[in-house]
Amino acid sequence: MSALTTAAPGAPVVELDLAELRRDPYPAYAELRRTAPLAWVPSVGRHLLTRYDDIVHAEKLPEVFSSREEGSLLLRTVGPNMLREDDPDHRRLRAAAEPPTRPRQVRDQWAAAFERTAHKLLDRIAGRGEGDLIRDFAEPLVAANLALVLGLRNASADDIADWSRAMMDGNSNYADDPDIWLRAERATRAIEEAVAEMAEVTRREPDGSVISSMVHAADPVELAEIQNNVKVIIGGGVNEPRDVFGVGAWALLQRPDALDRALKDPSAWKRVFEETARWISPIGMYPRQLTQDYEIAGVTLPAGSRVALVIASGNRDESVFERADEFDLDRPHRPHLAFGGGPHFCMGAWVARHEVSAIAWPLVFSRLKGLRLDDGATASDSGSAAGSLDGWVFRGLTSLDVTWQATA
Amino acid sequence: MPTVIFQLPDGTERKVIAVSGTVLMQAAVSGGVAGIVAECGGNASCATCHVYVDSAQAELVGPPNDVEDEMLDFTAAERRPTSRLSCQIHLSDALDGLVVHVPEEQV
Ligand code: FES
Repeated sequence: MSALTTAAPGAPVVELDLAELRRDPYPAYAELRRTAPLAWVPSVGRHLLTRYDDIVHAEKLPEVFSSREEGSLLLRTVGPNMLREDDPDHRRLRAAAEPPTRPRQVRDQWAAAFERTAHKLLDRIAGRGEGDLIRDFAEPLVAANLALVLGLRNASADDIADWSRAMMDGNSNYADDPDIWLRAERATRAIEEAVAEMAEVTRREPDGSVISSMVHAADPVELAEIQNNVKVIIGGGVNEPRDVFGVGAWALLQRPDALDRALKDPSAWKRVFEETARWISPIGMYPRQLTQDYEIAGVTLPAGSRVALVIASGNRDESVFERADEFDLDRPHRPHLAFGGGPHFCMGAWVARHEVSAIAWPLVFSRLKGLRLDDGATASDSGSAAGSLDGWVFRGLTSLDVTWQATA
Repeated sequence: MPTVIFQLPDGTERKVIAVSGTVLMQAAVSGGVAGIVAECGGNASCATCHVYVDSAQAELVGPPNDVEDEMLDFTAAERRPTSRLSCQIHLSDALDGLVVHVPEEQV
């Protein structure tokens, strides 16, 4: 099977401007869902699949909608890894890496340290009365937590955040910029070294981390496989929880009623998390490649076709979510697609849920009294007017400037 | 070909003819049973395929495995003594006539 880089016969061709898509993809998605739920988009070089039901359908058929994509930038950036594998290889690697990210492990093994780190970061800024909640809090928090869960005791939170950014840039380096490749390579080499060192340490003393778990897996995993999969986890593990934190905090700062509710009833933070992930999904789409001819959304795609499952669009599908563009904690519970579905269901889901909804939001809103958006940092409900919201493959706030009453 | 019965929260009932050797979650999904979300496709990592086994049959079905037991602490609807993840219940003819109750919430 070779990758087809043209439209499937019969597929509507829709021109979308990538800069516009980054600024606000939602109007284009609404139009696609209405008129061309499977469309070839030349600027992306893929068919975009945008309706909820079709996306769920595709997710349930991993043997047809394969994760093995030829010419994948992710493969070039980090090498072979579980995100671009199908079962049984995917399953072997996932089973080896997953135990430390399961919810009970998160609660019993990591939560206390997550909380200490959050307090430390808040101690540092509480006296200032102003700051950027992304740069000063969310990013260092999730990066430090990630280092802990992965078992990279030999890396700082800054290292993790920098590596993540360098790899994410490589992963979206469609323009083939040599500087970006160079930075990505430097990051991946540094990760390889750090992982090799910790793999050696945990071989002697298991520590319950992801690296340790992979080193001691019942079904053996090679060092290179551990290295590549740690790269992938660092690539995605920073921006996703960071972006849910940022978007959710920003949504609440504009909705005092919703915020009040969460402050009075801590169980509501869970709803805030799921609704935030639905409303502005940190991962907007992921690629798949067809292993065989298959009809979906009224078009027969030939084997080799490249498809993007646009989960950000599925999460705004009006046929599933009423008033889908609104952030609404009271909407009827319907499963959102933000974590993906099927065998690749987000491995970090339970870590992210806990660090953001049980720790980061409650601590920020209880410790920073009088927290409010900096003047000028406003946005419409759809997020379209927000200057700092950016991205469509990944979407989040690049900054969240706020003020509060400084404490001594 | 065991037949399994899903009791839905609205009081209605769905009968699905399943294939021996598959798991209960698959029977629910291919039978279009609303309320079994099964986000992770059967890998015991999402806890959205939660069911309550009818108490009369709990012993026949058996207890959850270790990973499942952990996930069951994190289901959206309350965990009860007969809670199971339907993706971890392997069907055989011995389970013909199995009745499970689908909880109100999965996410
Ligand atoms: S389908 Fe995800 S736990 Fe059963």
